[in-house]
Amino acid sequence: MGVVGDAGLPQDSGRRDALHHRERLRKKITEQLKERIGEEDIIASGPEKRVRVPVKGTKRWQFILDRGERRGVGQGEGQPGDVLGPPGQGPASGEAGTEPGEELYEVWLDMDDVEELLFAELELPRLKPKPGADAEVTDAVYDDIARQGPQLDKRATLRENLLRNAKRGELRLGGIDKPDLRYLSYRERPKPWHKAVIFLAMDVSGSMDVDRKRLARLLFYWCVQFLRRRYTQTEIVFIAHTTEAREVTEHEFFNRVESGGTKVSSAFEAVAEIQRDRYPAEDWNVYVLHVSDGDNFAADNQRTLELITRLTEICALVGYLEVNPGGGGRHKLSRFYEQEAQDLDGFVFAGAEDDRELWPVLKQLFAKEGVVEAVR
Amino acid sequence: MTSYTLADLQAVDERCREIAVGELGLDVPEVIYHLVRPEEVYFAAANGLPARYSSARWGAQFDADYGRYQRGEGRVYELIFNTRPVHAYLMEGNSLVAQTLVIAHCLGHGYVFETNGWLGSVDRTIMPRVLSAAERIADYMAAHGRDRVEDFLDACHAIAVHQPQAQLVRNAAVSEPEHRPGRYDDLFPDEVAADRQRVAEERDALRRRFPREPQQDLLGFIEHHARALDDWQRDVMSIVHSEQSYFLPQMRTKILNEGAAVLAHQEICQRLFLPADQYWEYEQLNAGVVGAHAGRVNPYNLGINILREIMRIATEPDDEERDRWSWAGSVDPYEQVRSVLRTYDDEALLREFLTPKVCTLSRLYAFEHDQQDSRWIRVSSREADAIREVLIPQHATFGIPHIEIVDADYGGRGELLLEHRHESIGLDPEYARGTLTQVAMLWGKPCTVKTIQGRDTDAPIWFTGHPDGRSEQLTKQP
Repeated sequence: MGVVGDAGLPQDSGRRDALHHRERLRKKITEQLKERIGEEDIIASGPEKRVRVPVKGTKRWQFILDRGERRGVGQGEGQPGDVLGPPGQGPASGEAGTEPGEELYEVWLDMDDVEELLFAELELPRLKPKPGADAEVTDAVYDDIARQGPQLDKRATLRENLLRNAKRGELRLGGIDKPDLRYLSYRERPKPWHKAVIFLAMDVSGSMDVDRKRLARLLFYWCVQFLRRRYTQTEIVFIAHTTEAREVTEHEFFNRVESGGTKVSSAFEAVAEIQRDRYPAEDWNVYVLHVSDGDNFAADNQRTLELITRLTEICALVGYLEVNPGGGGRHKLSRFYEQEAQDLDGFVFAGAEDDRELWPVLKQLFAKEGVVEAVR
Repeated sequence: MTSYTLADLQAVDERCREIAVGELGLDVPEVIYHLVRPEEVYFAAANGLPARYSSARWGAQFDADYGRYQRGEGRVYELIFNTRPVHAYLMEGNSLVAQTLVIAHCLGHGYVFETNGWLGSVDRTIMPRVLSAAERIADYMAAHGRDRVEDFLDACHAIAVHQPQAQLVRNAAVSEPEHRPGRYDDLFPDEVAADRQRVAEERDALRRRFPREPQQDLLGFIEHHARALDDWQRDVMSIVHSEQSYFLPQMRTKILNEGAAVLAHQEICQRLFLPADQYWEYEQLNAGVVGAHAGRVNPYNLGINILREIMRIATEPDDEERDRWSWAGSVDPYEQVRSVLRTYDDEALLREFLTPKVCTLSRLYAFEHDQQDSRWIRVSSREADAIREVLIPQHATFGIPHIEIVDADYGGRGELLLEHRHESIGLDPEYARGTLTQVAMLWGKPCTVKTIQGRDTDAPIWFTGHPDGRSEQLTKQP
């Protein structure tokens, strides 16, 4: 079933309402995708595969009798005691009152569609144009009118005609001739060049158990998908840390298992160093996202905050997600941030206990309108 | 496929009508046929009426039905509207034989539309109102946003079928509380005074109760008594309400109507003396229409089997039937069928004529849902009594639970209390809660329905929906 486009619809009768129905359906699908972004069949589907999305919330509500208790009458073969398949669906009739208004759609979506639906709501906040050495990109803007061109501007042409007639003392349209013709024309404008780099830093220490790593990687997975799809000019730097931090490849980042203690400051030191060497803040929008279980070496917290504070001065955004499946825990980094970094502008921190909380976190990190809010 | 012209169709129409009126005695009103493209047929079918207001609701239906048609999984042949003159759609691309069957079929519908008493209340001049409503709703969508109006329409449609049906349900009489004088009253003056006091209070409460009598017309009541509604919202309610009243009488005469239409096309096509190849095509089409539907009841099949049985009883009854029906064996079969078509609705038709013979002819069985997996069904019986016990109540209310508004100021909080007049089966909890959130959206305050928990227990249960979309169920009176 085509949900996103207009596949299979006729050109006239029924088209408008059907399109509107699909649009409403799509909104519901998006809502449900957000809750399901942690599920394997979506993540594991890869770019080519399609995912099946059952769309809840499309029921037509009516008072109906208890379905479990309901008895019915059918036609056909079968002796008392025989168990038959599901009862046939009633003929779809807009006004029938005899069947429940069950409408459970199951929609097959391409990963492309999934990402399109989800990412439409996200953007890199505080993105600023940066003058780069390679700012040679231009955009053609059709906002001019000329006597020659590829596309006739009817409105401008009529105006010319009216003017020309008026000059001859005739207040009328008509006799459109060559001197009246006006065309849309374009100018080339330099396109703003939003260079951006995002540092993804993950705690891979021993305390990050399977569930925590899974949540962390899920968040990073969607970050990477989002950035790759929406911001083709963005560079991504992957950093893994225990008590020490180092830059790793994307494959290592998502697949390697490590162990050891935790020193969060090491990650931010690495970020600061790489940023200084390779991504000067004058040329780059810098984003940092750190995910950890918050189980930091307590004496390191203060040092970490100092580094973060320094980074917020040059970064568009520094984000922190504490993954904490099952909740609980006292000596968490988030507690420390809550006390010490609540008002630090440009720093966002959040917690996630399970998959369903990932979407709100993504939304918080990549908030549209550029409004950054710190939420507990 | 045979090619044909409009003149061919006109000739078919004339010939069919001659047979219907002259030989079958059916006084059919004028029927105007429109030869239209498939998408128009499906569009009007999804909307229920042509030129109805634009809504994603019809869009969903259209998308599903038209998709099935395109995949070759089903086909609509005919669409007919109970207006005067009657309008019917023929689908372009169908063969001449198919069109002939449809034209003959529509004459059967036309007779029922014109003469059946239950359909007498239908507004046959509904089309100007439909057009005007479509314009108004388009205006509301432009002014208040399409989604807002659609959501409101959905809420209205959730309860639009709950309108009073002529003679279907007897209202419970409201009994006023009274003090019954007893023989030893003078011995217990304090107790008697207390009782009189109680009675006076109860009478007072009853007098303050609003509505005084339970209301079956849910949407109509809310339209007139909800406080926080804009004018456009009340107008949308009245549109949904009045258009629904066009469909309700058709819902209660579905089996009868389809039976009549099949009888008409069978009797007429028999008399057309079609050439062999066309007759063969007709037989195939006819078999497709009246075939049994596995797992549910095909109204065409049940309808024609009942009407054919009535015709048989009119001419060749057995002894039992002769005892039961005074007209058995002594009446013109067509006259007997016509009189049934004029006066019965589905409930009456089934009560009188859903005989063991009809159950066998239509291969009916009663089923229950499987305990483990309710999507599966278990055949429970092929006995007529068991089948009647299920099918007749279903058609008495066409599956709509009987629900009434009993208090419009529930708990003194301005909330709405509904009561389900159950017949030992409660409401589906999920749907009750979902529907109540819609009602609450219309009423502007929480709405509660009281029903029972299930077939095995008559213990009460209350479902409540809130305007913000929350809902809950309680086993104690809220």
